[in-house]
Amino acid sequence: MSGDGTAAATTSPAGGAVDKAQYGMAGFLVLVGGYVLWDASTLTEGFADQPVHAYTFPYAIGAVLVALGVALAVATARGDRPQADDGEDVDLSQGTDLRTLGLLVAVLVGTMLTIDWLGWAITGALLFTGATWALGSRTWVRNLAVGTALSIGSWYGFYVGLGVPIPAGILDGVL
Amino acid sequence: MNTPITDGPVVVAYAPDKFGRAALDHGVALARRDGVPLIIVNDTRGDAYVDKRFAGDEELATLERELSADGLTVSVRHDLVQDVAEAVVAVADAEAASLVVVGVRRRTAVGKALLGSVAQRVILDARCPVLAVKPD
Amino acid sequence: MDLLLDGFATALTPENLLFATLGVLLGTAVGVLPGIGPAMALALLLPVTYSVGPDSAIIMFAGIYYGGMYGGSTTSILLNTPGESSSVITAIEGNKMAKAGRAAQALATAAIGSFVAGTIATVLLWVLVPRVADIVVQLGAPSYFAIMLLAFFAVTMVLGSSKLRGFISLFLGLAIAMIGTQTGQARLTFDQPLLADGIDIVVVAVAIFAIGEALWVAAHLRRKPLEIIPVGQPWMSRSDWRRSWKPWLRGTAYGFPFGALPAGGAEVPTFLSYATEKKLSKHPEEFGKGAIEGVAGPEAANNASAAGTLLPLLTLGLPTTATAAVMLSAFEGYGIQPGPQLLDAEPGLVWGLLASLVIANALLLLINLPMAPLWAKLLRVPRPQLYAGILFFACLGAYTVNFQAFDLGLLLALGLLGLAMRRFALPVLPLIVAVILGPRLELQLTEALTISQGDVSTLWSEPVAIIVYALMALLAFVMGVGALRRRATETIIASRATESESDVEHESDVEQKESHR
Repeated sequence: MSGDGTAAATTSPAGGAVDKAQYGMAGFLVLVGGYVLWDASTLTEGFADQPVHAYTFPYAIGAVLVALGVALAVATARGDRPQADDGEDVDLSQGTDLRTLGLLVAVLVGTMLTIDWLGWAITGALLFTGATWALGSRTWVRNLAVGTALSIGSWYGFYVGLGVPIPAGILDGVL
Repeated sequence: MNTPITDGPVVVAYAPDKFGRAALDHGVALARRDGVPLIIVNDTRGDAYVDKRFAGDEELATLERELSADGLTVSVRHDLVQDVAEAVVAVADAEAASLVVVGVRRRTAVGKALLGSVAQRVILDARCPVLAVKPD
Repeated sequence: MDLLLDGFATALTPENLLFATLGVLLGTAVGVLPGIGPAMALALLLPVTYSVGPDSAIIMFAGIYYGGMYGGSTTSILLNTPGESSSVITAIEGNKMAKAGRAAQALATAAIGSFVAGTIATVLLWVLVPRVADIVVQLGAPSYFAIMLLAFFAVTMVLGSSKLRGFISLFLGLAIAMIGTQTGQARLTFDQPLLADGIDIVVVAVAIFAIGEALWVAAHLRRKPLEIIPVGQPWMSRSDWRRSWKPWLRGTAYGFPFGALPAGGAEVPTFLSYATEKKLSKHPEEFGKGAIEGVAGPEAANNASAAGTLLPLLTLGLPTTATAAVMLSAFEGYGIQPGPQLLDAEPGLVWGLLASLVIANALLLLINLPMAPLWAKLLRVPRPQLYAGILFFACLGAYTVNFQAFDLGLLLALGLLGLAMRRFALPVLPLIVAVILGPRLELQLTEALTISQGDVSTLWSEPVAIIVYALMALLAFVMGVGALRRRATETIIASRATESESDVEHESDVEQKESHR
């Protein structure tokens, strides 16, 4: 397990205490496993001579997920700490920037909600502009220009270059 | 040349390029002439992986050492900030600077429309006189 | 041989040459850019598979795969930021060279070494792929089932540091793979008709590799700019050549087998190569201060290993790296079954790919040697625009699958899962492999047991299946020993490096130091 490695200790932000958030992950696993098991129980027998039933795999997977969730909770209680993913552009010495994260998620939700109505050309431009704003850029006129160029360019790129017509939304007929 | 009215320090907005060096040369000359301290500001937003206008720690340390060797009082601000122009103005305000020195460059029409210039914003926002220097 | 010539004919058509060039340019760019790796780039490009021909797309993907390696070594050397564990050594030794004013030589030996290793490894692939494919093509369902179990085993147990986390990721992936109505009954669909066909692999790959990664990096953005070492045109003197060519060959010899084995990975051979070069060098005192052998060997090992991973991918359909897994999903997108039958069913595609690897390598040398300073300029791209761009193309990719806003919802949900996986150190490779192979695992088991009319012993009735199960047992053993040895090697390298010069440290230490500066 990674918890015993010395490397895990060097990157842990606070050090020492149990990583409580990891209980959340364990709970999530139990929840998913439980749902997979419940879903499997709603499946019916196929043909009698069918060797692998539709529920065979789900039962196995659900059970293992629940077991893994419990195992993770136990490991967490014993002081197992994840060695969070490192990267070229990642600075783990500071805490998680929840504000940026929340803003980005909000931008993505907005994209999902508006895409059918506004179409890719507009939504994509707003997505780019919103995301740069969330990430701390304040040159929003430039970002809007770049975003618009990207979204209209990609719309025509797919339409002309790849032959994939992306729905245009309210700009139908304009583009 | 501009004559400082108060005896506050001279603030130089520095970058390791010819514009920054031109600003620094003038700043140093003026600070020496008036016997006031010199503050070198070299900040960055830190939003790119590499910022060529953000000097290396060593370079600034050498600069500080050389300049203070012959009697000039030099201090260096080398920080991560939200907004570079705002930070320069804030330092000038906080230190009651007599003068801010910035290096300016020629920009194309498109550049003016799209890019915010640090020098321009310092010139507009600073409450003390600002000296805009062009490299030779 | 004829097939290889046909392959060159495929790869050298103007169109495919264009895609190869595009691939190596994109690959180098994503290798240089922080925050984007080849796996993410491939995931973002999966939508092109809807209309570009399979040969062109796969040739482009291979260019990106190789290009990412070249670009990665550039940033390792100039910035001392190893993007992956396999370039830790390059970062240590190469950055020392660069600081000593030998950046040009470090870049040159890395690029030429990668070219030599990549070319030799590609020739080995030409020889080995048809031979191995001949053996595996006769396999029945039980053997294939065993091989897929081996794939799960390899990516879960061997490549990660924590087995528990590997399994969590694997089974989450299997659960995702169950979604849909492939078996005739709706499983895990939440009564949602849009889930009846399961979740498209493009959505899963983009969510896990692009959204998850972008959100993770956004939450932990490095704010302080790094000091880059200015560099001119890479070149090497006669003595540099003399000191480099043997390490290149030895590195290749280490790298290829490790990449080709399902239990491979590029990390171990780079460490082995480094240790060997240090032992054999006439200048052992230079190691840890910028020895050219210490860049040449590990870089060659890294590239040869990358090429080696194509052997299990093309002959067995087993991905052993994240990038290979995304390439596999591209095959799936074309309805091409990767696996024992691939070479038989698609000889033109496979040989076109194998031929294009040599072309990609030559192109990479051409664009990397003279243009290294130009590539370094990419590092000035501001982060907000870079990561916003990733999110933009991720949403575009997921939306173009079905033009359903629902897919964007899935993208976000799975992206948050990807974020959580990075937070809790769950490896992403087992999940993506499970999503791809899960349904086929169920299919092969069903097929095997239907033929044997429910007799479970059929699973070990074929010799290959028995060999594979034995291999898994053997791997489990070797892995136990290997883990101990690897830990020892790392400690030795770290301690020696610290001895010889105090500021050579491990990746994490270096980063901590930077943040305290």
